Amino acid sequence: MAFEYLPVMAQSAAPKPPRVLVAPTKPAWHSLNKTVNQLRVALLTSAALRLADQPPFTPREDLSYRLLSSDPAAGKIIIDHHSRIGAVPRQDPEIIFPRTALATLAIQGFIGSPSPVHVSFMGGVRRQREIENELAPAIARELKQADVDLALLVPY
Amino acid sequence: MVGTALDIMRRVRPPRAAFVDHPVGRTFGRPSDRRRQEEILTAALAELPKFTEAGQIHALQFQWESDGGRLWEEELRATLLSDR
Repeated sequence: MAFEYLPVMAQSAAPKPPRVLVAPTKPAWHSLNKTVNQLRVALLTSAALRLADQPPFTPREDLSYRLLSSDPAAGKIIIDHHSRIGAVPRQDPEIIFPRTALATLAIQGFIGSPSPVHVSFMGGVRRQREIENELAPAIARELKQADVDLALLVPY
Repeated sequence: MVGTALDIMRRVRPPRAAFVDHPVGRTFGRPSDRRRQEEILTAALAELPKFTEAGQIHALQFQWESDGGRLWEEELRATLLSDR
């Protein structure tokens, strides 16, 4: 049986009311019209990752995003997210942001290519309407500009 | 999506979701274990053609401890409830 996060999150938030989970108001399904080995893949992370030379995220309600080069040699990844679980992923951000693994799968021909850029934003933000109406469309435009076929979100 | 929080994934219904039974924040395994990171990412991407409608969650066959032990849950609970 899988670990249940919602009761622990509610206990952690007390005496404040538990976090409200909001599903998107618009359907997100899009059929897959390419095979996996033809896909250009971008990673999306809600861990508020950035490169050292990029401006920091501001806890906790930051609605900005950062574009991260898909080149594993592009520089050290910094985790700005305030979560208590950060100690282990800070040892190796690839366990939440598998940029190197994705590049390897492209070399092996398992996927078509990594997107030139991946996208990072702050998870746990409570401004749902602005996320859906402003942040998500802005990220979608970036992905479209990069000719991305698949956006793979790794929640944090 | 590749996620570790099954109860949350069930509530928010992402269009395509792969569940990994790992602690949150360790979705692709332990630090510096590149081979496991590639295995999990490969398994998640291999699920793509199998999704037929929005909201489906496919469980990947990975576990945190090789013997299936669940002691990590207590460590995780303590971390999540700790003071910062």
